[in-house]
Formats: sequence, structure tokens, C-alpha cells
Amino acid sequence: MLPFLGIIQALGLLTSFALLGTRSKGAGPQWLAFQGLLCGLVPIIMHADGLTTQVVLLAIGNIVLKGIVFPWVLLRLRARAPYHREVVPFIGIVGSTLFGIPVLALSVWLALRMTPALKHAPFVMLVLSIFLIFVGLFLIVTRRKALMQVIGYLVLENGIFVFSAIAISGTLLLVELGVLLDAFVAVFVMGIAILHINSEFGFMDVDQLTALRG
Amino acid sequence: MFLDQSIAAMLILPALGAALCLILSRPRHVLTAIVGISALQLVLAANLWTAVLGGHGFVTAAASWLYVDAFSAFHIIVLALVFVLSSVFAGVYFTNASSDQTFTLTIARRYGALWLGSLAAMTLVLVSNSLGIMWVGMEATTLLTAFLISLYPNRLSLEAMWKYLLICSIGIAFAFMGTLLAAASLQVGSAGETAFFWTNLASAETHVDPTLMKFAFIFVLVGYGTKAGLAPIHSWLPDAHSQAPTPVSAMFSGFLLNTALYCIMRFVPPARHALGEHFASGLLIFFGTLSILVAAGFIVFQRDAKRLLAYHSVEHLGIIALGYGLGPLGAFAALFHTFNHSVCKALAFFAVGRLGQEFGSHEMHAISGALRADRLWGTALLVSFLALIGVAPFSIFMSEYQLLRAAVSAGAWLPLALFLLASGVVFVAALRHVIAMAFGIPTATVRVARNGSAAFLIVGVAMGLLLLLGLWMPLSLSKAIGSAAAIVAGQP
Amino acid sequence: MSGFVSPVCALIFAPLLVGIINRTKAVVAGRRGPPLVQPYWDVAKYLQRGVVYGEVTSWLFRLGPVVNLASLAAALLIVPFGGLGAPLNFSGDLIVLAGLLALGRFATVLAALDTGSSFEGMGASREVHFAALAEPTLFLALATLARVTGSFSLTPIYQGFTATVWVHALPAVVLVAMTLLILELVENNRIPVDDPTTHLELTMIHEVMVLDHSGPELAFIHYAAALRLWILGSLLVGLVVPFRSGSFWLEGTAMLLGMAVLAVAIGAIESTMARYQLIRVPQFILGAATLSAVAFIIILV
Repeated sequence: MLPFLGIIQALGLLTSFALLGTRSKGAGPQWLAFQGLLCGLVPIIMHADGLTTQVVLLAIGNIVLKGIVFPWVLLRLRARAPYHREVVPFIGIVGSTLFGIPVLALSVWLALRMTPALKHAPFVMLVLSIFLIFVGLFLIVTRRKALMQVIGYLVLENGIFVFSAIAISGTLLLVELGVLLDAFVAVFVMGIAILHINSEFGFMDVDQLTALRG
Repeated sequence: MFLDQSIAAMLILPALGAALCLILSRPRHVLTAIVGISALQLVLAANLWTAVLGGHGFVTAAASWLYVDAFSAFHIIVLALVFVLSSVFAGVYFTNASSDQTFTLTIARRYGALWLGSLAAMTLVLVSNSLGIMWVGMEATTLLTAFLISLYPNRLSLEAMWKYLLICSIGIAFAFMGTLLAAASLQVGSAGETAFFWTNLASAETHVDPTLMKFAFIFVLVGYGTKAGLAPIHSWLPDAHSQAPTPVSAMFSGFLLNTALYCIMRFVPPARHALGEHFASGLLIFFGTLSILVAAGFIVFQRDAKRLLAYHSVEHLGIIALGYGLGPLGAFAALFHTFNHSVCKALAFFAVGRLGQEFGSHEMHAISGALRADRLWGTALLVSFLALIGVAPFSIFMSEYQLLRAAVSAGAWLPLALFLLASGVVFVAALRHVIAMAFGIPTATVRVARNGSAAFLIVGVAMGLLLLLGLWMPLSLSKAIGSAAAIVAGQP
Repeated sequence: MSGFVSPVCALIFAPLLVGIINRTKAVVAGRRGPPLVQPYWDVAKYLQRGVVYGEVTSWLFRLGPVVNLASLAAALLIVPFGGLGAPLNFSGDLIVLAGLLALGRFATVLAALDTGSSFEGMGASREVHFAALAEPTLFLALATLARVTGSFSLTPIYQGFTATVWVHALPAVVLVAMTLLILELVENNRIPVDDPTTHLELTMIHEVMVLDHSGPELAFIHYAAALRLWILGSLLVGLVVPFRSGSFWLEGTAMLLGMAVLAVAIGAIESTMARYQLIRVPQFILGAATLSAVAFIIILV
């Protein structure tokens, strides 16, 4: 179990760094898809000894939504958006990548603080989930494109999903379903909002949404 | 009295109503439908409230997945009241809409469905026992109300909607993290579906891990605090309030913020249980005072009337949070203040909304001589502003006065001093704004319509409530608020 | 005695590595390509030629290739060949390794600057720019390995990578291996960082620095480049081939095969990738640094 989780952690960290360091327009949703896939595997590995249909179905639902549906929606949105410029974030590619390293150290430190209370949660996954949450927030705050902000939101969601998979021993079907549904609706709502913004403004640059201040 | 069914009915009724709105064929019918359904909801809420107060102090249904006690029943009744008032006002507001914002059938259907949908979602938040389901309700509220902000899609409203959607989604995600941590803190003993029940979390027999509970409460406070508009993460609030159609702004200020604060308060008893008396209340006092101060700073420099009211909401939510932090007396004041603020803020938004339509702008310099131009809404503007800044004899004065007493008895001198300072600033600043708007000569372009009976009715009800509760507090109400306060703050 | 296997192997087989890379590229491009031993013939040919010096060059220019070759040859004494240890090992020799690699580069850069040509100066500037980023990356990667095995000397580190340690630290090993692969490309000026075959001065880095050298000195430079390729390559291959049977022949064969596979892989990378824009190269190296930083942090606990 632990080697698998170790690999998932390493790959998950890599996808986060890839998202921090990506400048190409299409790479974001693809890395996100890969990350969603990895995170979806976590509950299956966690419950490998007593696999119930409930766990499997939830995991499959997660993988399908986060690995396929959401990235597909985002790619479609991107295709409809007339980008002309390259993705130039508020904080550059190099700065973002460098940001990731101390934050990873911070995540490890926080995980060390939490781990005495969460004895059966694998440490590697705790680090990953905290790191994903930070990276998601960072992407939301520093990216100009609405699309990248949605990606940041989904990275944040992934982090929370991993945490819920490792920290809660019993599965809470009703709650998990509600969460999944909400994420589903949230992506579509954000997608529709982007389309509205796009048709009204003709672009998806959030930094030009600056009329409201003070 | 079929209480189980009545809780369920309070969830199903607005949901069905939302579906109904999608098939109605006239905008006018939609406006009537939302008034009718909100009124029915108010009746059900009142029925539930009396049952809770008269019976064991709580009502459960659906194998304790639904649970209503005095604290939630109080919030439900405020919710229903705000919705009834705002629904009636929606009729007044949309029938007088200006030419660029015509209330077409498409918009009416969308409005009705989202409006009643968010009523259902907020009710779900208030009646559910599971913290997970409560969270689902909050997220649903966010997603539903997002489209209410941009009911008329234009640049500004879309910008406001995007900020609201994004910032609140992050906040809600944090709150979910907090909810998970709270559930994880329980693990030692029990697990499964009941791990998320707050009745279970708060009960004295449950062992809760203090470290995790600490993390959990911080996440929840920051997360739901974003939605409640507590400083420093209130930045979405003025944008959303100023760009949404006015009935929506009234509902946002009047109750959406309180729903989020309600969620925070559900975590306070377990936090106190695990971490002692001072952890949660200290944080509440800190964020409450900070919100009051920040809002006071912004109120001075506002130019737009709706943004001004939005910052007033930040201030008053701060006051309520401060009250919750000050022990049982403070919690009483906070709950009383919740009611007063909701009614008063709804009235203020109604007045600003209608006057904005008549003067053609919400910019404060464009509105002058409101009292002469439109006697009804001008009076409502003046009274609601006076009440908001805490002028006697309106009820907000009473609740703020009780808050001061609570602060003195708790010995919280620094928050007390800061609160008084900020209130002074707000008093002067807001008074200057409202005098300029209410008195003077109306501009030439003003376009006044005759006010119907519905307008007189809501202004009368709201002003009557503010005045009545300021002068005389019925014993039964005081008892009800007292038992609600005891739930979140312990026995006095 | 077996300690001298690794430097001897390196001295013999290093140019072959270049030959394999060139052959791979030729095959992918559909050509027959030069024979595998062509780099040996090239070196021999240059050794027989006379030397031409520019009028403005000084002793620094002549010293450059010699110091470069000498420092790399010295580095061979401390680089282990997989499980086969190096002749020398002492605590902290991984810092000496980095120092020797840097010394060789420093000498080459000085020689390039000594010509006074603006082209060579430009190449030197780029070389130093990338090296300044690549070197801390190498340190991070080696530090991670040191942390995994609990030793601060290269030979024990590589001998410590038994199958159990390897599986236990798999995520970190994978990350460090990726870092080392990128460093192999960066340090040896391969595509996508630099194109060793181009002679368009504006885009060159390494080749432009050695334009003025000729005769035996050019032979030194080519041979030293092959050794550099070998040294970093053996660090990488030693890591990804967790073969610690203790049997001398088995391990030696596995390592040699691994080196050949690496050469083919580099050839494949060079055939399929385009050279990056110069401004993208620091980001590429930064990516490598990130990989090893991640590895270091996750292994820390």
C-alpha cells in the first residue's frame, strides 16, 4: 500500500508543479485530468483490504468527473475562447515554480503537526492534500485567465478530496454524493459564467474585471 | 401536529415552487407565486417555532438527519420573514423596472426558480443535523444565488458574480475542510454517518481530539466567514450587493450572511467543549471587531448607496459575531441584533432600490430630496438609516445597548472601546450621507410612480417591527431568544 | 583492485557513448550514419594535427583544455560505477565531484574569454549562466541520495542502493533520476538545451566556445566532453539499475548495458525534441531543480 501511495504522492506533486509552471494553453486541463485520476485512486488504495461497492462506485464517479468530464468541459471552454496572448500570470512561471518549493516544505511541517491526531492517515497523502490546497489557492490568486482560476479551484477540491479519503474512516455516502454533485454543478456554473463573461467582454482575462472597487 | 412532515414540507414546498416558477406563463404570476410560497413558509416556520418552544426544546425528523432546536427555529423564522418581505418588494421593484431592465418572462422564470431554490437551500442549511449536509446546502446556496446577481447580465454584474462565485467557492471549500477535520476529530470513538451530526459532536459524552478541533474551527471560521462577509475576506460582498437586483441584495444582506454565521455557530459548542471557554469566543471577538473597524473605514468613503449598505452589513455581522463571543448575555444581544438587522437592512435596501429606480442611479450624489420626491420611500430611507446607525428608540439601539452591557460584564474593554469608536465614525459618516439624500431639492429628472398598497404594507410592517421591539420586548420573544442563546453560549 | 574498473571503463568506453548517440540519431533520421567508433578516429586524427594559436591568446588559452581534461579525469577517481566502488572515497567526495566538474568548465570558459572574440564571450556567458543553475540542482539531487542512504560519500551511497532501499524510496529515486537525466542533457550541451551539431554561432553555447581550438587541444576537448557525458551518465544509470548482487561481472555488465541504453535514449531525445529558445533553458533547469527539491523534501521525513 505504501509504495503505491508514495508514487501517487510524487506524481501528484509533479502535476501540481506542472500546473504552476505551465505556460501552454492546452496543458492545464490535461494535467488536471491526470491529477484527478491520481486522486481518484487514493480511496481505492486506502480501502484495498475491505473494498465495498460503495467505495468503488464513489471512486469511479470521482475519476470520471475529475479525470474526464471536468477537463473536457474546460478544454471545450478554451476552444471557444479567442485567446491571442500567451498565458502570462501575475507571478511568472519561474516565480510560481519557486513558490512551490517552500510551500511544499510548509505542507510537510503542517502534516507533521497534524499527524499525531490522525494516526491512521498515511503521512505522504496528508502532505499531498495540504500541498494541493495551497497550490489551488495560489493558482486562483495569481492567474489572469478565468480558466486557470477554475483549474485552481479544482486543484483545491482535489486536495480536500484526498484529505477526506484518508482522514475519515467510514465512508459517508450521502455527504460524498452531495460533495460530488456540488463540484459538478460548480464547474458548470463557472463554465456558464465564463461564457457569459466571454460574450460580454470578448475575453477571459480576469484582470480586466476591475470596474468594482472600494 | 405533524411536525416531522412540517420540517420536510419546509424543504419540499420551496423546491416545488421553484419548479412551478419555470412553467408559469406570466411574469406577474411568478411574482405572486413567490409571495405565496414565502408566506406559506412563514406560517410553517411559525408553527415549528411554537412547537419547539412549547415542547422539549427540539424537533427531529428523518432519523435525526433533520433537527430543529430553538437556535435554528429562530433563524428559520427570520429567514422566512425576510423572504416574505423581499418577495413582496420584488413585486413592487420589478413592475417599476426601467426600460433597460425589463422583466421579461425568461428573466422572471429564472428569477423565481433561483429565488425559491435558494430559499430551499437555506432552509436545508438551517434544519439539517449533519454538518456535511449543512455544507451541501451552503454550497447550493452559493451556486444558486450567483445567477441572481447577474440576473441582468452586463459587465458590472458579471464581474460581481465572478468574484462572488470564486471567493465564496474557496471559502466554502475551506469550510468543507473544517467540517472534515471536525469529523476526523471524532474518530477515536464513533464513526460512520453520525460522525457528522453536530448533536453528536456537541454532546458531552463524545471525546473530541483538541488539535484537530482547533484546526477545524479555524478552517470553518475562515471558510464560512468568507460567506458571512467577515473582514478581511469580505471583498466580494460590496460588489455583489451593489450589482444584484435590489430584492436580491436585501435577501443577501438580510439573511444569506446570517446563514453562514449560523454554520459557524454550530461549531462553537463542540469547540468550547474540546478547547475550553476562550478559544472560539476569542476568535469571534477578534474577527467581529476587525469587521466593525474595517467596515467603518470604508463607510466613510462610499459613493454608491448600495455599496454603503453592503459595508453596513459587514459592520453589523461583525457586531453579531462580537456578541456571540461575549458569553450568554452577548449571545442574547447577538440573536436579537440578527433579527433587527435583517429587518432593518431589508427595509434600507428596499428604500434605496426604489429611490434608485426613481432617480435613475444608486450613486448617492444623484439622490437628493428623497423625502419630497417620494414620501413613502424617502421616510423608509431616513428611518432605516437612523435605525441602522443605532438611534433610539429603534430596536437596533436596544440590541447594541445589550451588547455593550454584555461587553462590560465580560470585561472585554478593548473590543468595547473599538466598537464604540467605530460606531461613532459610522454614525457621523452615515448620517452625513443620509441627510444629503433625504433632504434638499429633488433633481429634475426624478420619475416618481404612485406607490401601491404592497409598498405601504412592507414599509409599515418593517418600521412597525423596528419601533415596537425598540420600545417593548414581549416576554415570550425574550424567552425564545434566551433559550436559543443558551444553545450556543451555554447557560448564563 | 576492482576499484579501478570504473575509471578504466570510463577512459575506454566514453567516446563510444558519443558514437552510439550519433548512430541513434542517424538511424532515426533514416541515414546509415558514421561508424560507432568514429569519435575515437576523430580524437586520434586531431592528436596528429598541428596547433594554430591566435595572435592575441595567452597561456590561459593553452591551459584551458588541459585543465579541463585533467579535472574530469580526476573526477573519474571518485565516481562509482553502480555498485562497483570508485578507487577513492571519503566523506564529502560528492562536493569534490561538483567542484571538479566546475573547475573543468571554468578552465574552458577562461580559455574562451582569452580569445577576445565576442562570439566566444557570448558562448561563455551562456555556459556560465546555465551552469550556475545546474550546479545547485546537482547538489540537491546528490543531497537527496545522501539522505536516503545516510552517507555523504558517493561510493557508499551507490552501494547502499539495494533493492529494498530502492523500493522504499521509489518516489524520490524516480524524481532524482529525472533530475539527473535533465542535468545530463544540460551539462553536456545536448538538445533541447544546446545543439552539439549546429555551427550557427548565434544559437550555440558550448561549440562556440571551442571554435578557436585546434590539434591535440581540440582532441582533449572532445575526449573531455565524452568523459563528462560518462560521469553524469554513470550517476544516473547507477541509480536506476538497482543491481547490487556483489558479483563483479554481473554488475559491470548491467552497468555497461545501462550506459548503452542511456546513450540510445539521449539519441532518441535529440531526434524527437527541438532545441528550446534560450530564455526557456533556465526554466528547464529550474524544472530539474524543482524535481530534486521535491524529492529532497519528501525524503526528509
